[in-house]
Amino acid sequence: MTTSATALAHAVEEQERGLATCVHCGFCLPACPTYRRLGDEADSPRGRLYLMQAVVEGRLTADSDAFQTHLSRCLGCRACEPVCPSGVAYGHLLELARHVAVDARRPPPLARLLLHVFAKSWLARPALLAARLLRAVGLPALFARLGPSSGGAPGPLRLGMAMLAASAPFRPPASSKPAPGRTPSSSEVQPSHPSGPSRPTATAPAPPSPTTVAVLAGCVQAGLFSHVNRATVRVLEANGCRVLPMPGQGCCGALHAHAGDLAAARALARRNVAAFEAAGVDHLAMNASGCGAAVASYGSLLAGDPAFAERAAAVAARAVDVSELLARQGGPAPGGPVPLVATCDAPCHLLHAQGVDAAAETLLAGVPELELVPLQNAAECCGGAGLYGLSQRELGSQIGSDKVQAVLATGANAVVTANPGCMMQIGAGLRLAGRPLPVFHPVELLAESYRRA
Amino acid sequence: MTPRLRQPPVRSAVPASLAAALAEICGPDGVVLEEDRLLAYESDGLTAYRHRPGAVALPRSTEQVQQVVRAVADHGLPLVPRGAGTGLSGGALALNGAVVLGTARMNRILKVDPENRRAVLQPGVINAELSTAVAPHGLYYAPDPSSQTACTIGGNVAENSGGPHCLKHGVTSRWVTGLTVVLPDGSTATLGGRGRQSQGYDLTGLFVGSEGCFGIAVEIEVALLPVAEGVRTLLAVFDRLEDAGQAVSDVVGAGLLPAAMEIVDGPTIRAVEASVYAAGYPVDAEAALVVEFDGVEAGLDRQAERAVELCRRAGARETKMARSEADRVALWKGRKKAFGAMGRIAPDLLVQDSTVPRTKLPEVLKGIAETAERYDLVVANVFHAGDGNLHPNILFDRRDPDQLAKVEKASKEIMQLCMDVGGTITGEHGVGLDKKHHMHLVCGPDELDVLWGVRRAFDPDGRMNPGKVLPDETEPEVAGAEPPPALPAARVRPRGSQASVLGLFPAERVMVGDAARKWCGGFPAQAVVFPESVEEVQEAMREANRAGVSVVPAGCGSWLRAGGWGHEADVAISTVRLNGVRHYEPAELTLTAGAGLRWDALTAAADANGQWLPVDSPGSREGTLGALVAAGASGSLRGLYGAVRDNVLGVEVVSGDGRALRFGGRVVKNVAGYDVVKLLAGSRGSLGVATEVSVRLYPRPEAAATLLFHDATIARAAKTARSVCAGSAPVAAVEVVQADGGAAGGGGRAWADGRTATAVRIVGGREEVDDLCDRVAALVGAEPAKAIVGAASHAFHEERTRWEDGAPFVARIAVLPSLLARALDRAGRVAALLDDGELCADAAGGVARVKGSPRSEAPDDLVHLLGRLCAELHSWGGSLSFSQVPPGLASRLESSKADPTLPGRLKALFDPHSVLSPRCP
Repeated sequence: MTTSATALAHAVEEQERGLATCVHCGFCLPACPTYRRLGDEADSPRGRLYLMQAVVEGRLTADSDAFQTHLSRCLGCRACEPVCPSGVAYGHLLELARHVAVDARRPPPLARLLLHVFAKSWLARPALLAARLLRAVGLPALFARLGPSSGGAPGPLRLGMAMLAASAPFRPPASSKPAPGRTPSSSEVQPSHPSGPSRPTATAPAPPSPTTVAVLAGCVQAGLFSHVNRATVRVLEANGCRVLPMPGQGCCGALHAHAGDLAAARALARRNVAAFEAAGVDHLAMNASGCGAAVASYGSLLAGDPAFAERAAAVAARAVDVSELLARQGGPAPGGPVPLVATCDAPCHLLHAQGVDAAAETLLAGVPELELVPLQNAAECCGGAGLYGLSQRELGSQIGSDKVQAVLATGANAVVTANPGCMMQIGAGLRLAGRPLPVFHPVELLAESYRRA
Repeated sequence: MTPRLRQPPVRSAVPASLAAALAEICGPDGVVLEEDRLLAYESDGLTAYRHRPGAVALPRSTEQVQQVVRAVADHGLPLVPRGAGTGLSGGALALNGAVVLGTARMNRILKVDPENRRAVLQPGVINAELSTAVAPHGLYYAPDPSSQTACTIGGNVAENSGGPHCLKHGVTSRWVTGLTVVLPDGSTATLGGRGRQSQGYDLTGLFVGSEGCFGIAVEIEVALLPVAEGVRTLLAVFDRLEDAGQAVSDVVGAGLLPAAMEIVDGPTIRAVEASVYAAGYPVDAEAALVVEFDGVEAGLDRQAERAVELCRRAGARETKMARSEADRVALWKGRKKAFGAMGRIAPDLLVQDSTVPRTKLPEVLKGIAETAERYDLVVANVFHAGDGNLHPNILFDRRDPDQLAKVEKASKEIMQLCMDVGGTITGEHGVGLDKKHHMHLVCGPDELDVLWGVRRAFDPDGRMNPGKVLPDETEPEVAGAEPPPALPAARVRPRGSQASVLGLFPAERVMVGDAARKWCGGFPAQAVVFPESVEEVQEAMREANRAGVSVVPAGCGSWLRAGGWGHEADVAISTVRLNGVRHYEPAELTLTAGAGLRWDALTAAADANGQWLPVDSPGSREGTLGALVAAGASGSLRGLYGAVRDNVLGVEVVSGDGRALRFGGRVVKNVAGYDVVKLLAGSRGSLGVATEVSVRLYPRPEAAATLLFHDATIARAAKTARSVCAGSAPVAAVEVVQADGGAAGGGGRAWADGRTATAVRIVGGREEVDDLCDRVAALVGAEPAKAIVGAASHAFHEERTRWEDGAPFVARIAVLPSLLARALDRAGRVAALLDDGELCADAAGGVARVKGSPRSEAPDDLVHLLGRLCAELHSWGGSLSFSQVPPGLASRLESSKADPTLPGRLKALFDPHSVLSPRCP
């Protein structure tokens, strides 16, 4: 048995001892986006757990097509966890099982390359810089609009370009009051000019000793969504937090863990743990829910590392989503009007993995003139799921287009979601559908609201 | 649209030609062929067994299902339907490399008809999602198995699933009103049944609960229920499990009818509280009893308070009422997810599903605890206590072989324990693979023969889900060789002499000649015999078979003239002397009596305990319990309390060839074997002579009222009636009563002051009835012309059951309720051709009736009109039947166009020599 297989066997055993074992009740089936679309038991959480169990029992080999296919089809959205009455830690088992799968069979070269790039900041920075330059030229948007369409799922290039285009910052309409009976159309939502951080004009009274916070900048987030990071700082400061730098931080390792590269994920986690400790802040504020979930599980990720186990758990306990952080302080301070009709999608790694419900709604509820309309199946995965669009083009594209249809059905003129992957996935889907609505992170709208106060 | 996926290379376990055919039918991504991938289908909700299928097909349409069924049959392989795989009896496991037909992709709601409160679904629709989909119309689907967030309607149909709220609202079979099925030969059939009030054997009722052995339901029509306007949920906490069981009996015994009553015991409480569904049950308690009342807001508080008082008296240490919807949801979640939460106590569990008479709960619970202790096992109980449906969960670890053996023994002992107190082996999970060897506990060899026969009637070659439900060793040897013969349409038999049958009885129990004819109300029977025991009935039937004598089963002879009983018989066998009440425990709300028990005697017995059988079938008041079941006709109360067939729990019948057979039992939930009781109910004496019947009783409502609204014309009355039906006031029944015939008396006419009226029947608690009276008046937009309250209301409806009495001709037109006006219009045209023609209607049920005297034996115009009407009704999805019809006319009316093969096979199982009249209803 390989070390990875031993780890999976150990984890399954641990779950049984911890009495969080799958009793095969099937309650997870309807929650699973892939089962809902495919109707195949092996593409359900219960089925995948069964295959993992079969590998542990030695009835199935890790390099078998069945194990490889059905594990890679899992989005890792963890929608199965909240509905599981037995409390099976599916996400944790999935990471271990993927590790086993990757050990047994190397993932495709493109996926390997991307993971490698994100694991090394000296590679990631120039790559993201190049992407930003490309985006600034406007080529991706053009390509997403005009690129070759085969009718089915978009090719990786077109999808990638659409995602890149969707990561561009937008500014909500400036008119403070829309004409009666009329909501601003998407064409009025213009990309904002990239500009330096502006000081928030609305500032809540600072508490006697302000909470100190560092923001995990992330890799994709820092590279393509620096505007979201800036907005996060602005919003935190406007709500009385002291935001301090956290030098030495890097990618959270979520992509690597999800793809089964646990060694890389652990290395990245160690780096961030050390950086957080050095920063000496009260909290690590998270604004990308994928990263948030990853940091929250640093404890279990590094449980086998005596030098880091405790420290990792301590960091995990201090990591908190920005919405949660503001909620704990009694909700965000009020700001100025942002006239927009928006619909909120719940990122899986916030809702299912961290149990933070209605995060965006909580942040934005008080923004004047911002109307939030409910999104059908908001709790279902958008199909972004890390590198899913690469590995499962057809399925990912279908899940994505269902989300796009649901968004369009709301009649909203903007989408709000709190994870860069989801922002790009939904934004790309809208672009490919010819309806390029802007996609905002909730803190962007909140920061805008403060700017207008 | 499902995306087309790249599939791994195939090493299939089934022949390559079948693999290719299935991939061709369902698309390459709609089949699972590779052995490794099939691993995931080894188990359903019951993990004690592992059987890997040969292949899985995931069709999307009825046509694809047909093609899959044919392709698999062509290769001589068996087929197993599977929904979400949440079943707990191993029913969806594929034995011997069978092919699994998964319905997950057939998940469309084909039609929602809010006006008629119906929906038509594909089998893969998830139970809870149906309710979500129809919620905007203020409706929901009543059966709520604990797995409802995952399980499919198709699976519910296969298992006849129950759920907590079935205590008040009944199980799946009550709510399935029609089925389109793909039979094992790949053909489709649309099954009618009493659900739609159509004539003939209740094949829909028989199909529900057939555990995938009869075919695959591809279109399921269900009835929906308006969401209750008020709910009260309370929790009572006990230090002793037996006390909680006692509280349940006390609540039911006190005449309360909660929507649900559930008990969760100590070990389960602790598992649930440790799970994400923590409901706030105290972890040191030994039982938590959840009681829920639903219905009209008015009076709910009083019911709940009364229940609280009873719980306290039974020893509850603490009671609390859910104060908010969130409270209520949390409380239910804890109960509904308890099964899954068991994973927190042990890695494996075996869940039992016995149903016992309610009053035996404390005794059985104690016995289970003792058994658990003896085998050193943990048994966690979570169950539907209101209907006596126990779910002892035996917790174990399969890796310990010693424990595994103990589980097996304890499981069997618990089952026996439940049988010993008059229970059954499965209340709602089905027999499946797990309990087929226990079928001997509930069925004798003759019953098992019949069950095999019923199965073979649908599936002559034994292709569907083999190895389930019935014990393998009882399988008839010739299975698959030849389908059972369907009886010829015309009976050919040598005419015998009834003397040898009559000779079996002492002279004082034989009636012949004119006396016999008169006793039969004019029905042409040569003689009547009055057996006093089941054995005497058997002897008479055997002798009739030997001598070739035709027999008609009779009660007290009052219904024989009605249509559908055949046109003549040599001997009528009357069960009036088999009329004792055999078992009646008021707290169990069930009564078992000889089939000859007269309505008056039944009513008197029930009334003495504040209970009643809420059935208002036409003609039932003069008849016997057996005749009520045999006729199977329902009155307007069916909407609130279910049809006759929904309230018949068990029947003992002497078959046409003289076997004494027992089906069902005296517990309210019972899915042990196919639902032959549904086949017998409404079979009009064509299968056997019913000798004993068990029925479900209800607490007699505290208050009642009938509001009469006058209208100038029938059409206006129909409109008034429909407006009440469509409104939000949950009334018991809405009838249209006409009275311009002028003749005196009968059917409540006198009450209506000789005018056309809409009669709205309201029953319930005092506050509820007062409230509903006001609301009905508001719906109609007028004060009632007359309000008949209390006992008088009941008397009015008793009188209404006699509406058909004495009429030479009565026709029933059954349609979807929204078509009531049209049905009444057609009934009016029929009435115009009759002397003393008169109409009435059950507006909520969509049944219009017309009665009168044909102007001659068989007037051409009437025959012609009825023929046209029959065709027209067929096109509306309705039906025409006759409860009374003169013999001359009957012979000229077209018989049913339905395929006689299946009914013929079923008839042959019971009455192979066609001794019983009629041949088929």
